[in-house]
Amino acid sequence: MTRSAWREEPADRFALTPDRALAYVAPEGAFALYNDFAARDSVLATGLAPVPPAEVVAAWRDQGGERRPHRLVPPDTVEGYGTFTFPYGPISMGVPESGRFDVVTYGERVLELTPIGGYKARRTLPSLAGRPLADAALRIERLAGNVAAAHVAAFLAAAESAQGTGVPTRELWTRALAQELQRIYNHVHVLGRIAEAASQNVGSAETHALAEQILRLQGHVFGHRWLFGALLPGGPPRRLDLDGRRALAAALAPRSKEFEELWELFLDSRTFVDRIQGTCPVARELAVRWGAVGPTLRACGVPWDDRLRVPVVPYTDLFLALPHERDGDALARVLVRVQEVRSSFLLLEQLLDRWPADGGAPEEAAPPVAPGRGLGRVEAPSGDLVYDVRARDGRIEAVAARTPSDANWPLFSFGMRDAVFTDFHFAFESFGLVFAETDR
Amino acid sequence: MPSWIGQAAHRGILTSRYPRAPATEAEVPMTARAPGPPAAGPLPAAAISVCPVGAIGERAVDQGRCIRCARCLAHGLQPVGPVELTVARAEALVAPPGARDPPAPAPPLASLGRSIHVFLVDVGSCNACNLEVLGIANPLYDAARLGIFFTNSPRHADVLLVVGVPTEEMVEPLRRAYEAMPAPKSVIAIGACPISGGAFRGNPGLRPSLDGLVPVDRFVPGCPPAPIQILDALLTVSGRNRREG
Ligand code: SF4
Ligand code: SF4
Repeated sequence: MTRSAWREEPADRFALTPDRALAYVAPEGAFALYNDFAARDSVLATGLAPVPPAEVVAAWRDQGGERRPHRLVPPDTVEGYGTFTFPYGPISMGVPESGRFDVVTYGERVLELTPIGGYKARRTLPSLAGRPLADAALRIERLAGNVAAAHVAAFLAAAESAQGTGVPTRELWTRALAQELQRIYNHVHVLGRIAEAASQNVGSAETHALAEQILRLQGHVFGHRWLFGALLPGGPPRRLDLDGRRALAAALAPRSKEFEELWELFLDSRTFVDRIQGTCPVARELAVRWGAVGPTLRACGVPWDDRLRVPVVPYTDLFLALPHERDGDALARVLVRVQEVRSSFLLLEQLLDRWPADGGAPEEAAPPVAPGRGLGRVEAPSGDLVYDVRARDGRIEAVAARTPSDANWPLFSFGMRDAVFTDFHFAFESFGLVFAETDR
Repeated sequence: MPSWIGQAAHRGILTSRYPRAPATEAEVPMTARAPGPPAAGPLPAAAISVCPVGAIGERAVDQGRCIRCARCLAHGLQPVGPVELTVARAEALVAPPGARDPPAPAPPLASLGRSIHVFLVDVGSCNACNLEVLGIANPLYDAARLGIFFTNSPRHADVLLVVGVPTEEMVEPLRRAYEAMPAPKSVIAIGACPISGGAFRGNPGLRPSLDGLVPVDRFVPGCPPAPIQILDALLTVSGRNRREG
């Protein structure tokens, strides 16, 4: 579908108006900040209960609350003769982060898989109260380091909206550039992990090498391999200058070509495609009802992307292809990611080509949702990321967030039902889930 | 039929020659060097007040606390430290102005033999350190060429790499992982988080460091440290570090 077709849809349906946004905001709880996209509305309009049902959420929240570790999916009951539950984790084989998976099984088949989070909660968000904006942003970067640019961009947008601060156009372009670079890194990394799980040794090594090249590029251009400090407010130390942009422009073309050659081979490889086809499928309806986001959602045929839905500079001025797939399985998620890497390379090219001249009036921040309270919303590599910030006089009062991992854990859990345990790694990696994002 | 090997050869990936040759510019990001003053003397007051984690004192910078945010670089400090800054005691990371880390003094765990198996434990990280650790396996560093392999079980591990700030929830799992390792064993703390709490220092429910949890043999400062620094620490504990003091 072309961009203009999207533009023709009634804008107010997607707009983040104050009352609408606040309805989705709750300071605590993982189901806070739900999506407000059309597909979800239409499912709700069919008379299906607003899922997750309120009582389930309440029970689940009680169970989680301040007590940790806690379930990342509301409880369900799977019982049967001869089933047993085994806990996998919190230090689990092949998952580099700490978190637990409770698996109900009677042998080979997984009847239910429940991710349990909270092992690495660092209580970052509560610790931000009272801090100046720049100091808070520094900690937001370290909430989930591999997606730092998206988190800082969403956080800053929310803080700016809360305080009505304008932002120089160039700053917004820099944010987009950093985010697209990091999107490429994350997608390439996820693809490499899936290739690794499929024992595609040469191909996965090559993919990881490409990811490392992107990290080096980020380090070279922004002074930090994970872009910490690249987007900080108030005279950030790590600026993108003309030399940086030149270096970037020169380095991108060969990397993009490398990626094309590499992933053409993967998608030609029957063994690889067979292994992930049909693995951990997520039905469209389920995805919509549970508020799945990002490649997980787009892989089941819902082409929602904040970059097109939330009107912010510079995305409003750029051409952005919006890939989506239909089947909702690991292959579909891989295909979406592969196409998104391409589209991000294209976006970077456009950004560098049309880099705005210095000066000019700053862009206005989005109107606050309440006095002193703003929302910031960006499309992180794994999907819609929302920050809800209360700030006054340059200081933070409270911060809440709904991250893509929060939204997608249930879908991973559902997709694993009836799977064999050997599917675990393909399934897990294909969602791009990060414990650090939920354990904050 | 696609030819992976042919393609790989054609792309010509350059594996690091470290430690036979010094780390190259591309392998050493700016953040690999600890900030310090260009010359001896008291540290500038502006730098002290601007540091978000209180790493700068009047006479010394605590590299174990430094999260490499680069703020002090606008106030008279420079990235001056050596790339290979892994030390045996956390106190050694408090570098007096202008001083360099003393040449690697720790007796190597020679009994670890030639190849070592490494187990990664995350006790509360932001995920960047995890990924930098995994990074040493990619073809650009190729840890396997140095006989360094990842293992999926602490029972097969010689070295425990700990990333993240220790949360109460991870204290027990960490201890159990350490106890499951056969002797001789070694622990490396990766990044500011396990050394000093890093950016999360002082938050409730967190331990300030690995102190009293497991004995640490090597501290690698940074936020996160670069793969070369992690390689350096691994080579040091296995007694195969050829870098010059
Ligand atoms: S770079 Fe390190 S020492 Fe300098 S201000 Fe940042 S944390 Fe403090
Ligand atoms: S040391 Fe820095 S990069 Fe490493 S886990 Fe802690 S915050 Fe993340």
